[in-house]
Amino acid sequence: MKKTATTGFSRRIFLGAAVTAAGLGLSGCAGGGSPAAGGNVELNFVYWGDSNRAKMTDAAIKVFEEKNPGITVKSEYQDSGPYADKLATRFAGGNPPDVLAMANRSLLEYAQRGTLADLKELPELNLEKIPATVQSRGEVDGKLYGLATGVTTIGMVVNKTITDQAGVTIPDDKTWSWEDYAKFATEVTQKTGGKVYGAGYDVSTETGPILLARQRGEDFYTEDNKLGVSEDTIREWFQYSVDLRNAGGYPPAGFFEQIGGSPAQSYLAKGTVASQIIPINNFRGYNEAVQGDVVLLRMPGETTDKRRGYSADPTMLWSIAAKSKHPKEAAKLLDFLTNDADGAAETLTQRGVPINPDVAESITSKLSADDTTFVNMMAAIQEDDLPPAYVYPKGASVVADTLKQLATEVEFGRITPADAAKTFLEKSNAAINK
Amino acid sequence: MSVLTKQAPGAAASLAAGPPGRRKRGTARRRNQRSGYLFLLPWFLGMLFTIIPFFASLYLAFTDYNLFTEPNFVGLANFQAMTEDPRLWQSLKVTFIYTFVSVPISLAVALLIALVLNRGLQGLAIYRSVYYLPSLLGGSVAIVMLWRYIFGNEGIVNGFLGLFGIAGPAWVTDPNFSLSTLIVLNVWTFGSPMVIFLAGLRQVPTMYYEAASIDGASRWRQFRNITIPLISPIIFFNLIMQLIGSFQTFTQGYVMSAGTGGPADSTLFYNLYLYQKGFTEFEMGYASAMAWLLLMIIAIFTAINFIASKFWVFYDN
Repeated sequence: MKKTATTGFSRRIFLGAAVTAAGLGLSGCAGGGSPAAGGNVELNFVYWGDSNRAKMTDAAIKVFEEKNPGITVKSEYQDSGPYADKLATRFAGGNPPDVLAMANRSLLEYAQRGTLADLKELPELNLEKIPATVQSRGEVDGKLYGLATGVTTIGMVVNKTITDQAGVTIPDDKTWSWEDYAKFATEVTQKTGGKVYGAGYDVSTETGPILLARQRGEDFYTEDNKLGVSEDTIREWFQYSVDLRNAGGYPPAGFFEQIGGSPAQSYLAKGTVASQIIPINNFRGYNEAVQGDVVLLRMPGETTDKRRGYSADPTMLWSIAAKSKHPKEAAKLLDFLTNDADGAAETLTQRGVPINPDVAESITSKLSADDTTFVNMMAAIQEDDLPPAYVYPKGASVVADTLKQLATEVEFGRITPADAAKTFLEKSNAAINK
Repeated sequence: MSVLTKQAPGAAASLAAGPPGRRKRGTARRRNQRSGYLFLLPWFLGMLFTIIPFFASLYLAFTDYNLFTEPNFVGLANFQAMTEDPRLWQSLKVTFIYTFVSVPISLAVALLIALVLNRGLQGLAIYRSVYYLPSLLGGSVAIVMLWRYIFGNEGIVNGFLGLFGIAGPAWVTDPNFSLSTLIVLNVWTFGSPMVIFLAGLRQVPTMYYEAASIDGASRWRQFRNITIPLISPIIFFNLIMQLIGSFQTFTQGYVMSAGTGGPADSTLFYNLYLYQKGFTEFEMGYASAMAWLLLMIIAIFTAINFIASKFWVFYDN
């Protein structure tokens, strides 16, 4: 087993060339799986994440190599930003990795350009146990391009130590509305004398408005790969944060300097906010990073609007490059990652709840208390009748960037929520329909 | 007076030798040319690696290349699309503001510091290094990260303002201030033009100042009528280099905004947008066309400068 961790800095060298858009001819020089001697096959396996994820993944790879003599796995990991950049250049250079992690919003950007293998064509990958609702999240035109690494969803984490000290009661998360959350957050700010803001969720990540749209009876992304969210829902999403800020429950403009960092870097861990929206597979990380007792709650508005907003979403997706020289072995690795209980015993719920129910069952006894909380919440949510969710369309990464940009404009009052919503729909539709 | 007598020994020696003979000057010029090409050699070697991508990007600018499938020729479609792309205009705006604000200021600061250092300080080498250091680091990722902290909400800038009861703005995350924070960073990296200015100032013969002060010219007058004209080729050189470098700014915007050009596209430098187009939206044809537009913009501004230089740059030969 070989492993390399690369930082993003080398991209600067690449960029010197990109100044004249020059990198094209050179991009093929990254190292890759060479056909190994003696019948031994070397697979290149890449994913994004931190060293903790890498440690668990390495342990699983070791099990795979023991079970599959003749296959060596050379893995690489990076932070998500540089990972995305490098992946694009490797595909462009005709030297893609064999097995790779793919973000929901990037899947069809790659798949609809013919760069990913149809996983249904690979008999080494057993899909028998995988629910159709999970498969559909990586499927387009009947072809499966990405298979969930596990499922997760978003939830609200609250620092209960802070709310207890402030004497604020956390509402019942099974029935709370968005108004209840706003009231709660405002009360926390008031009762802590403004030292802690009650709400500190991220307005600019698409998972929030996706959930809100579903609650309001709309599909953010529709079955036919279009944008289905209404202007009104996006306006509401922005307006809610503006109102909450004006009421004092949400920090002033410019307060958040870094969004999307590790749990340790979060504002919840710093103790300057009392609640935050997270992908709930990270619950354990947050509870460990935060001084005090963190509780995991359902999102507000799940029972107070038209329908449930929740869905079991792929944490990320596994894909196999169409140009992989070893599709058989790559499929074996993907089958192992999906269906092998011994492998899952090493990675646990690092990338969400395993999508093979038997595998998920097999690891329950090995989980820590926090991970068990996550798995139980995931199971409880899925007991309800959830509306279907669909794969992210091509152009979804532009949609994400557009949301981020407009959220900032709204934050600093440079644009009204209504105008932001209008612009969001225009730009997003243009990107998706291109 | 001590200022004027402390000149570099080389300058004094060449003055003492008097004007060189004609034949001697010819060989010296050839020797100079040879060493000039020698200094350019690394660039020529580098050129071998960039020449193919250079022409490839020219071709790709006229295609719909998306990184993954074969490019199709689309004529001028990319250039046409650029005229209707609001983010392209935004990126031009950001880049122009950045260039036309920070280049004059950083040149002025560089010249000022060079003048001070040229007065012959004790430990000149140390000061020179200290002032030069930021230019070596300014474009680096680590320094931009550091800048984020210095100008962060709990950074020393707002801490300092807080001492006077001023609540500083969110320098990094507020789109109304984020670009100015980067302009300050760029001005701070005045070191490389400063070192060149310093070298230029040392070449100004002391006899001019001596003559001027005998005639009763003030310091300012001497600066205005002797220093500026004699170092005008150096100013010109620095201006061109800074202008080109500034148009190509990338790292500062990329690191400060984590690759987004944010907040709200306020630091969307042209090259950052080009990069996003090519590598996150996979529109490499469009990105190539953008690269060529940038080349043209830089060429035009450099040409304007060369034409304008006839009216203010003074070559002493």
